[in-house]
Amino acid sequence: MTFAQAMLLAILQGFSELFPISSLGHTVLIPALLHWNIDLASPSFLAFVVVLHLGTALALLAFYWREWRGIVVAFLESIVRGRFSGSTDEKTAWLLVVGTVPVGLLGLFFEHQVRSLFASPIPVAIFLAINGLVMFAGEWLRGKDGGQRPLVSLSYFGAAKVGLAEALALLPGISRSGTAIVAGLLMNLSEAEAARFSFLLGTPVILAAGVLEVPRLFDSTAHVELVQAILGGILSAVTAYISLAFLTRYFRSNDLRPFGWYCVAAGTICFVLFFSGMVKA
Amino acid sequence: MKGLSLLLAIAFFVLAVLYWIGTLQIATHDPGPHHKHAVVFAGLGILCLIWFRFQSAAPSRVR
Repeated sequence: MTFAQAMLLAILQGFSELFPISSLGHTVLIPALLHWNIDLASPSFLAFVVVLHLGTALALLAFYWREWRGIVVAFLESIVRGRFSGSTDEKTAWLLVVGTVPVGLLGLFFEHQVRSLFASPIPVAIFLAINGLVMFAGEWLRGKDGGQRPLVSLSYFGAAKVGLAEALALLPGISRSGTAIVAGLLMNLSEAEAARFSFLLGTPVILAAGVLEVPRLFDSTAHVELVQAILGGILSAVTAYISLAFLTRYFRSNDLRPFGWYCVAAGTICFVLFFSGMVKA
Repeated sequence: MKGLSLLLAIAFFVLAVLYWIGTLQIATHDPGPHHKHAVVFAGLGILCLIWFRFQSAAPSRVR
């Protein structure tokens, strides 16, 4: 992997991890489209991806820093107290715990099998198009008026459903944030609240995915280029922060349909290119 | 329910230890210790202990 390729992948990761367009899908499709000779399963590439994930997680933590501080304090206080106080931060904290469990467990048991089956350009292109259709379906099912409920009105069962929906993103091409936002919309949350819950829910997942893979950085076969990895991590963090700033404003008055159009178009075009052999899959 | 939460916590911690030392190989793709599995099961164990704590805490007094 050249320096330019690494930096482009870092920008792509920071940008596509939070936009509902599947970062993993793009990490498979872009190198294939540009004929990059990268082994996506090599130890050095996987170690580089770990750094990019850590960068994205840091951006999420930094962006929602005050909120996270309140959530963690309320969570710890509720444990010490041994009962719920009913505060907003405490409810958010427990919604996040309940939502994280299904995605964590399913990811643990099925991630490797699912990715080894589907992480090639043709299935990814199909799933990317399906991801677009899921967003259209979400907007259509919630109806014209849509829900305007705040996050704290979500039930714990509803949070578990959002977590289960998020686990669909184990399929490369399906977006984690996209499925979580759609699930939130179907629970009658507003777009802004569904997006906020998706980003908050994504923080422990992305952080854990990064931290639990840190040993890969010290794998003797990984040969991580230190400068490249550090710059990649910083670039990924900056891009993710800018994406968050944009998306939180965007979802105050806009919906998922533009991302749906993008995913359907990009998925269909990539499928035609790879399936017809115009681009080697 | 208090008993169940404690039983589940113990079961999850045992599973975590077994994955950590590599004895348990269920739903894994290569042999050897599985630290990621161990950490997740330890997390579940902690959640069960919190559940136990919530059931053990004295209820607030009605004034």
